[in-house]
Amino acid sequence: MTAIQQIEENLRREAKGMLERGEVSVVLGYARGLDEKHPQPYAAHKVDEVADLIFNEYCVHNLARYLTRYPPGTKIAVVVKAADSRAVVQLIQEEKVKREDLRLLGIPVTGMKDPKTGETIDRRTTGAVVNPVLYDVLLGEEIHGVQTGSPYDVLTELEAMETQERWGYWKKEFEKCIRCFACRKACPMCYCDPCFMDASRPRWADKSPTADGSLMYHLTRFYHLAGRCVDCGECSRACPVNIPLYLFHKKMAKECEAMFQQAAGMKCEDKPVMVTFGDQDSDEMLK
Amino acid sequence: MFKKVTLEKRIDFVSALMEKGPLFAPVKGEKDFEFQRITDPSVVTLDFYNTSMSPKFVFFPQSEDLIRYRLVKNGAESAPVPIDTPPSVILGVRPCDAKSFEIMDRHFLGAGVIDPYWKERRDKTTVIGYPFDPRTQPDPADFYNALGIRAADTAGSDVLMIRRDGDLLLKSLTEKGSGLLTDLALSDGSADDERAFEEILREGNDLRSRFLEIQDSEIAGKLSRIFEDKDFWEKTAEACIGCGICTFVCPTCYCFDISDETLFNEGMRKRFWDACMFTDFTLEASGHNPRPKIFQRYRQKVCHKYAYHVGKYGCISCVGCGRCTRACPVNIDIFSVIEKALKR
Amino acid sequence: MDFEPRIIGIACNWCTYTGADLAGTTRLKYPQNVRTVRVMCSSRINPSFVIRAFQLGADGVLVGGCHPGDCHYGTGNLYARRKLAITKKLLEFAGMEPGRFRVEWISASEGNKYAEVVESFTNDLKALGPQTRFRIGKERGGGQ
Repeated sequence: MTAIQQIEENLRREAKGMLERGEVSVVLGYARGLDEKHPQPYAAHKVDEVADLIFNEYCVHNLARYLTRYPPGTKIAVVVKAADSRAVVQLIQEEKVKREDLRLLGIPVTGMKDPKTGETIDRRTTGAVVNPVLYDVLLGEEIHGVQTGSPYDVLTELEAMETQERWGYWKKEFEKCIRCFACRKACPMCYCDPCFMDASRPRWADKSPTADGSLMYHLTRFYHLAGRCVDCGECSRACPVNIPLYLFHKKMAKECEAMFQQAAGMKCEDKPVMVTFGDQDSDEMLK
Repeated sequence: MFKKVTLEKRIDFVSALMEKGPLFAPVKGEKDFEFQRITDPSVVTLDFYNTSMSPKFVFFPQSEDLIRYRLVKNGAESAPVPIDTPPSVILGVRPCDAKSFEIMDRHFLGAGVIDPYWKERRDKTTVIGYPFDPRTQPDPADFYNALGIRAADTAGSDVLMIRRDGDLLLKSLTEKGSGLLTDLALSDGSADDERAFEEILREGNDLRSRFLEIQDSEIAGKLSRIFEDKDFWEKTAEACIGCGICTFVCPTCYCFDISDETLFNEGMRKRFWDACMFTDFTLEASGHNPRPKIFQRYRQKVCHKYAYHVGKYGCISCVGCGRCTRACPVNIDIFSVIEKALKR
Repeated sequence: MDFEPRIIGIACNWCTYTGADLAGTTRLKYPQNVRTVRVMCSSRINPSFVIRAFQLGADGVLVGGCHPGDCHYGTGNLYARRKLAITKKLLEFAGMEPGRFRVEWISASEGNKYAEVVESFTNDLKALGPQTRFRIGKERGGGQ
């Protein structure tokens, strides 16, 4: 049995146990979609639904986005890969879920594939963390010795550009936006209801897909995710017109880490960087 | 009328179409194929399965200017934006998409009020249909067969075009189609070409996908009966994130919103695509929202397309093109939902 | 015709706005290019205000608040400092010229500092020229 098949078996065993013991009322995982290469996020509520749970290299979705759908206090078991576990930690920091209401089924895994293209996801486009940062049960062996490099290496080209050239780059990208809002909905941190884009007073961006409205939407969203984005890459995979959103989110994460010495979603007791201030803060950050 | 365009004459053919007016044809983008307004004949490609967004934007653009206005003291000066479409051509429309134009005609032209914007563009556009190659495996997400549409269906096309060893064989189906082919002064196809053409059409029409055919009345009735089955709908929509991609790529989705977009004192009243999947789609001015939960909106989408539309317009509002399944960030497949509903 | 930059100045009520007032009452000479918006505290500032100002045609945006440690509400500007620092990085990465967004701590008694900042910012912007990158164009139906 391959490592990933073992993980799937462990997952079904743990999920069954937790549901049987009444530890949780729902297990968030994945199930087969049209075929194995197109899994769907899936919630098993009953023991006989555990058999539907699968895990393979196409299970890329960040299940943390579904946590905020359940009423507070619901006991939930959730399958988390590295970035997903960071998302859960971030949600705990933001008090959207309580640690004691969750059972995290951690999966250390590399070599995940994008269901849309079938290709292995480029490591440089997602976070550098490989093992879940928080878990109750680890479904597979921890992975060590993976050469990850810095998650910000992929920004070198853009950072080196003159502002004029960089503006040209982003202008062209944002003009592609069709305002489907898949990026917003795919993101576990975009749980605001209503979202600023839904407001009519003030109207931040018009509803029709104008270039200026798309600029306002994306720049504001990048700001709202600063210090909160966990580099799962879901927004960029969801985008039907292939805007490389992850690049801007990474830049914001890089700046937050440099200024405030804290990465998003690492420790439950951290406070999100943008809702606090520190003794070490100085005017240096404004330079 | 039966014409032939050899491979060597392909670019001339596209250029000739461009000279007649705006030409929309498939182009390879970064990762996907898209219909685009063509400015360079060499970028047109027929080596594609289907585009990721449907060609409905040619008749129903995502954003459409309706009334230009200026705010003045105590009111506004306004003038409608004239609808003025030059004669256009869409080249390379798959049978499911061509059929979608006829379905959309039912809403925009056949519902008691004629949409002048849709009508103008439809009247002035010639559709060159492009059947699926019967020797290519259908994409597993496609289910047009199950809805009674064949791989070489003629519905919705003015001209039908197939490729035979690089050459294009074109047959006119309507007066508009004949008019276009006459204007282009193309060479006639041979009798042999015609035989090959009919053969490919026949093969296409015999092609059956793995899906069982469904009957409009059967699914419409079943969906009405299970409307209150909350467990079914909650389970079905569990993965759905409520984005709107399915609506935007769909050839038969037609909901739109209208808004006045003002900057300083000038503005435009526009209409633009809306999606029933959005949280605020049914949000009322009072603050009440009849469909706050995703499963309610997903149920709405499925029931609208496969039940209410049957009752109101006489057909399912879906052509099985598979775009929604391919584009969905969480891989939801609407036909699987229909199959499950039928079994419920 | 000489280019006169249009600057949106967002000033906190207790310090910068009062400082600007002082510059006026003491008859200091400084360029008249700033359109001032008064907020109660620099932490009121939503980074979207800055983006919007540029979209609506501002050539420069100047934010003024109390010195950190002296916020009228105690800690408001300490939050604001982080927010504005990130906003600066955001704008720069998006491709807005760095010199167009400026944050200054100006207290109620620093009328001359206010005048100096406005003078120097206006001169910098004259050198940069009109802001065209974020600005919504006329074809959008927008006026001057």
